[in-house]
Amino acid sequence: MIEGLFFLLFFPGLAFQVVCGLAFEWLDRKLLARFQRRVGPPWYQPLADLIKLFSKEDLLPKGANHLIAALLPLVSFSAVLTAGLYIPVAGFTPFSFEGDLIVILFLMSVPTLAYYLAGIVSLGVYSVLGGGRSLLQFFSYEVPLLIALSGPAILGQSWSVAGIMEAQTVQGPFVIFQPLGFILAIVGLIGKLKRDPLDIPSAKSEVVGGSLTEITGTKLGLWHLLMKVQAVVGIFLVINLYLGWLKYLPAHLSILVFVIECLIMVVILSVTSAVFARLRIDQLAGLGWKILVPLALLQIGFVILMGV
Amino acid sequence: MLQKFIDKTYRWAQRNSLWVMHFNTGGCNGCDIEILDLLTPRYDVERLGILAEATPRHADVLLCTGPVTHQAKDGLWQIYSQMPSPKWVVAVGSCSNTGAVFHGSDTVLGGVDKILPVDLYIPGCPCRPEAIIDGLLKLRERIAQGEPDQV
Repeated sequence: MIEGLFFLLFFPGLAFQVVCGLAFEWLDRKLLARFQRRVGPPWYQPLADLIKLFSKEDLLPKGANHLIAALLPLVSFSAVLTAGLYIPVAGFTPFSFEGDLIVILFLMSVPTLAYYLAGIVSLGVYSVLGGGRSLLQFFSYEVPLLIALSGPAILGQSWSVAGIMEAQTVQGPFVIFQPLGFILAIVGLIGKLKRDPLDIPSAKSEVVGGSLTEITGTKLGLWHLLMKVQAVVGIFLVINLYLGWLKYLPAHLSILVFVIECLIMVVILSVTSAVFARLRIDQLAGLGWKILVPLALLQIGFVILMGV
Repeated sequence: MLQKFIDKTYRWAQRNSLWVMHFNTGGCNGCDIEILDLLTPRYDVERLGILAEATPRHADVLLCTGPVTHQAKDGLWQIYSQMPSPKWVVAVGSCSNTGAVFHGSDTVLGGVDKILPVDLYIPGCPCRPEAIIDGLLKLRERIAQGEPDQV
């Protein structure tokens, strides 16, 4: 009982993921600053932003539904945290079961739908536009992402993340067999996190603040926090599915390797957001359905042929 | 005791994370260009925690430029009331401080303080980005000392 609470509230759960999310945001902003030859924010910047948002007044436009607007970030935050519980951290996984990959993917798409609803509920023009854009983006990246992530599952002959890691200790990391799938997973992850080349739903110069335009104070803080945690969970998931070969290393070494892999992923995400400009929504739909989906199907075909 | 600690933490956070929104109430665009300069990588105000926000709902500081015209005064008031408190107003440039050369014109009310409670005046025509940074640092000090915002 107490052990379970510890798992939920501290190590793979709430506290660990929040700290990782804040660290991720700081690293990301600092790296972006260094790419632009600036100094960048101090280490406590994400924490200060979060506390400041919690200290602000909570406003909504007249006629907006306060209850639903408050529930949406809470529900999606808990969905993301739950998804994080099932993902092994440096090989440590207290709640693994067969099929948890599907549960994780389902829970990870809850925030996108909540983001859309937040736009509808808060009644702003830009919010509704941003919400619609987020759904359009969802249909473009989610299909190739799901096809790509089923590659490791087919090759590892298991639908649990821990099982896929087990298979990789025997066969070697799956990134060697599925480099294409790894790239597609990263592109899908960028789309899911609404990060820079694919930040169409929250583009400041086009739709002001996306769905969150009218949302202030604690709710906005929760939204920002859950997006950071979602980024961390997504990074852990991709690392475990494609680079999860460290189960039989000694404990301290596996933690070190895991941290290094996480840092490499953060650098990849920061570089893409620093280098590429935002796509238009039609370019994204074209990229998703004309390029990413066929490539993902090609990858799956290779995996099935290899498995036979 | 606990309340004091919470207040102190909130003040620390507010001082280290000023998100600014920029609104031109009818100026000549000179100060606006200086504000855009301020937000470029060269001056790097992100190291002070200052970020540009596009919507007043997310902003803490309203950077006003230009004299307040009769046409812009309702919009200015609306944007100010959309900001969640605690919020601060900074008048950037001589026109928004006093109305400057437009003082006494039929179409101009005067400085921003005719409409809103202004927390900080930054003079200059146009004021340099360094001056704006200096002003925002003074605003940070005032927040740290716990002066309440004027609502």
